[in-house]
Amino acid sequence: MKYFKFILLFYILLSFSANALLEVNILKSKEAAFPIVIAPFEIISDSSENIDIAKIIRDDLNRSGQFNALSSDALVGNQIDFDFWKEHKKDAVVFGKVEQISPRVYNVYIYIYDVFSEKSLYQKKITVSKTGFRRMAHFLSDKIHYVLLGQKGSFNTRLSYVTVTDEDDRGRTYRLQISDSDGFNPQTVVRSANPILSPAWSKDQKKLAYVSFKNNRSEVFIITPFMKTIPVKLPRFDGIASSPSWHPNGENIALTISKKGNKDIYLYNLKSEKLKRLTTNLSIDTEASFSPDGKSIAFTSNRTGQVQVYIKNLKTGKISRATFEGSYNAKAVFSPDGRDLALIHRVGKDYRVALLDIASRDLTVMTRNKSDESPYFSPNGGMIIFSTNRDNMGILSIISLHNNQIVELLQKTGEVREPTWSNYSN
Amino acid sequence: MSKKILLLSSVIFLSSCAATNISELGDKFLDLINPSDAATEQADLGGEETLVAVDEYSDATITEIEKLKSMSDGALIERAIAKGIDFELDADGNLIDRDKLIEDLVENSEALAALIDEFTNNGGTFILYFSYDDSEIDEESTRIIIDHANFMQDNPSLRLRLEGHADERGTREYNLALGENRALSVKEVLSLYNLDDRIVVISYGEELPILVGSNEMAWEENRRVEFSYY
Repeated sequence: MKYFKFILLFYILLSFSANALLEVNILKSKEAAFPIVIAPFEIISDSSENIDIAKIIRDDLNRSGQFNALSSDALVGNQIDFDFWKEHKKDAVVFGKVEQISPRVYNVYIYIYDVFSEKSLYQKKITVSKTGFRRMAHFLSDKIHYVLLGQKGSFNTRLSYVTVTDEDDRGRTYRLQISDSDGFNPQTVVRSANPILSPAWSKDQKKLAYVSFKNNRSEVFIITPFMKTIPVKLPRFDGIASSPSWHPNGENIALTISKKGNKDIYLYNLKSEKLKRLTTNLSIDTEASFSPDGKSIAFTSNRTGQVQVYIKNLKTGKISRATFEGSYNAKAVFSPDGRDLALIHRVGKDYRVALLDIASRDLTVMTRNKSDESPYFSPNGGMIIFSTNRDNMGILSIISLHNNQIVELLQKTGEVREPTWSNYSN
Repeated sequence: MSKKILLLSSVIFLSSCAATNISELGDKFLDLINPSDAATEQADLGGEETLVAVDEYSDATITEIEKLKSMSDGALIERAIAKGIDFELDADGNLIDRDKLIEDLVENSEALAALIDEFTNNGGTFILYFSYDDSEIDEESTRIIIDHANFMQDNPSLRLRLEGHADERGTREYNLALGENRALSVKEVLSLYNLDDRIVVISYGEELPILVGSNEMAWEENRRVEFSYY
């Protein structure tokens, strides 16, 4: 397959731990990426084990599409050759060192210099344990992003997604997983022999809502990851319950419930345990997603005979149609600033991620894939993660809204689907 | 003690109920059904009594016999009533011939399994297919569903699970809703025969495809409602 060869040609393989996602950069854009150097960190340590902090940072920044971050052949120390970097058209230089101060504790130093002014932009010492290295590297990526662009990065965050594998001992196995924003450190929250769908983070990241078929029908559950608590089941009537979306206040969840065959969106209050019906149309209403201010929901409905996205203002009760282009628009989510929707848009026979400017109704198709699913914005709004189909397998893909660069995250075995991005860690 | 007569008359009563309802449906379905068949066939059922030697039973049947043997008289009687199987009680209301009832129950479930197999012609599951993003039942599908309605009326102890599915195109959550609508469309036709209480509807959306693949052939196979009798 031609396309597959294309991927192989461009791949950059990360050293990956068991089950981690590996990163494949398929479409590297040349335009308007900030050229910087992130030199290898100097390691002052007895132990042979080391995690390449500079590489984690470079991969983070390159994935955002905002940077063209390269390594340097040699360590960069206190004597910075600014003329050399000017000549090589680098705008900033980042370097650092890792100093072991006890068997488990390290001091990490980072320095950011502007090449043209030859001035220090940022420097910091961080004390970190061995296990916190990756987290710290993502934190530093966010710092560099902020120092150089004046805008927060989305790296020290987490993804959640569903994996599907065929295993010798278990057969088909579904897992609800959480990983770092680069797909590393995957951890299983729920494992099931039955399908798992639609994971959704609460805004404080303490809880995940998801759909499980463990009782041989779709039901919505809420779990507090790693707390070893029993998942809480949300109410249903006589049919499906699905498609959870958290209100930003963390107290309410919108979900789809079927009652006497009619699928509508309801609001469930976790404290009062009461349900409030938000839509009443006889057609399918589903895939609710709260706006960042919690004042409205976007949802999918086939009320006109076509599948389109609508927005309901929860204060006035007014429902207005949001999508007008094409015969199939669904699964919309709001951008963090509330101005855009990312959604699935049908083009001919293909289903692709598209970006809709709500006010102007401008719709931009973002990929050329056959079957995209579940777009979700990074918390700074600069990227969209989604799943797409490659050889009948779901993989994760991240598109930069800065320059439309696409990076794919592949799993060693099985498929990955329905990614969502957590908010910032506190 | 003529429980048998009572059961038979109730079966006939049920069938005649169904007949009345069918005649009330109006012109649309009248040419598609023949309500009188149900009652006569039901009257024939269970009339014959054959004893099968234990060593002729399959392993699955032997497991079922063991299970039935471990059940209390009350539970056996409950099951017998549900299945429409005759049994005798003594003056104190105790089961007279426990072993015979167990034998009858096994025979009944074997006969029923064979009947379902024969009717569905596909290991007990029948599959009805749908068009893209559609849950409409066309005339041919209506005829097929009416066959199932008659089959259920002929076998009052049967229950039906309708499992709606969608192809992979479009979003998972929308397809979950679509799958339920497909199963509900089938149920709607069956509801005209007062079979509601015996039908369970669930949807798996696009999660359990029969054929994995991103082509028209796979999509056609996967847009379906599965009928499972139990």
